[in-house]
Amino acid sequence: MNKLVGKIDSIRTSGNLSIAGILVNLDIMKAVLIETPATAPFLKKGETINVIFKETEVSLAKNFSGKISLQNKLNCRILSIENGELLSKVILDYKGEKLISIITQFAVEDMDLKPGDEVVALIKTNEVILSQE
Amino acid sequence: MIHIQLNKKLKSNKGTFTLDIDFTLSSNELLTIEGHSGAGKTTILRLIAGLIYPDDGRIELDDEIWFDKKNNISLPAKKRKVGLVFQDYALFPNMNIMENLEYALVDKKDKNYLNEIIDIMEIGDLVERKPDTLSGGQKQRVALARALVRKPKLLLLDEPLSALDTEMRSKLQDYILKIHRKYNLATILVSHDISEIFKMSNKVIRIVDGKIISQGSVQDVFQEKYISGKFRFTGEILNIEKDDVVYIVSVLIGNNIVKVIGCEEEIKELQPGDKVIIASKAFNPLIIKPGFISKKVE
Repeated sequence: MNKLVGKIDSIRTSGNLSIAGILVNLDIMKAVLIETPATAPFLKKGETINVIFKETEVSLAKNFSGKISLQNKLNCRILSIENGELLSKVILDYKGEKLISIITQFAVEDMDLKPGDEVVALIKTNEVILSQE
Repeated sequence: MIHIQLNKKLKSNKGTFTLDIDFTLSSNELLTIEGHSGAGKTTILRLIAGLIYPDDGRIELDDEIWFDKKNNISLPAKKRKVGLVFQDYALFPNMNIMENLEYALVDKKDKNYLNEIIDIMEIGDLVERKPDTLSGGQKQRVALARALVRKPKLLLLDEPLSALDTEMRSKLQDYILKIHRKYNLATILVSHDISEIFKMSNKVIRIVDGKIISQGSVQDVFQEKYISGKFRFTGEILNIEKDDVVYIVSVLIGNNIVKVIGCEEEIKELQPGDKVIIASKAFNPLIIKPGFISKKVE
């Protein structure tokens, strides 16, 4: 799993749901949770939190323009690509931290991805898990 | 309420350390002591049972005092109402099962109670047999029955199921829970089988070198304190297989085997037999009525 550390910057709650904004390396990441500040003590502004997401939930975009619904957009550089038969593991550098994206090999070919490329890693808000040790 | 406070200098292969613990449990609770080997878990049970004595401390059960260093009180082992079950069954080999049970029976005339225990543990068919003709699971059921016929106020279980296979272990866990609930019998279990701890315990204390490092509910002690994934189960890894650039991890959760994709970094420190938490966001799982989709869902 990919893990980044951040600080909770904002919380919006409705009923049992909340969307937390987390400040990670000067980027704002977002996570939607079935929790509220009343049920989860870690949902508090300023709280340090682990932002976790699965490698297979990280999409990549190159030469990205236009609008997209995904709220988590991290500018990365490709460090290396490990190709399998069907899937590829793309190792990314995100402001000095290592992230991994697993996408299909078709996508790697189609996008002509290679080490050194600048890409945007995209993660859906509902794929982001928050945890606190 | 049971209050146990123990202090004793212990020797281990790493040198000496002091066992220093203080905890309480009530009669409807099953408390598990978890810790690495040599942490002092078994010693705690032996101290409570009165097989060895602490340097200092106090053991109090409701209104009975079993040990109190300050007031020089120390009940001998046979007067402490505990039932003890170890990993080895310690049944008398020359006696049949009924004789083994009768030997331990406090009130020799109380055949009703004896028969009730035989019924609950479902060992009626075994009473004429000698211990060495029984399977491991059967012997352990008899050992549990023998601990119970002493009418203990506290049941002490020292990794009683660790020699049994998974299926038998699960059955015996059910027997222990049945007894615990029926007799409201305070129970202290020593175990380091995480799935067992999750299934059995109301309370867990975790011990390192004779000291309690954390205690509370199973969730408090074993899970990352707060994790916002809502789809979460505890299971045991059965198999890890590399496929393409990922790994397929088969995990036994309850009686189901699920397959989860893992990354090299994720499975690096995992191997078959390890207990793991499988977590996902609550947003991912599909909810499907059986029969709605007749073919397998992939």
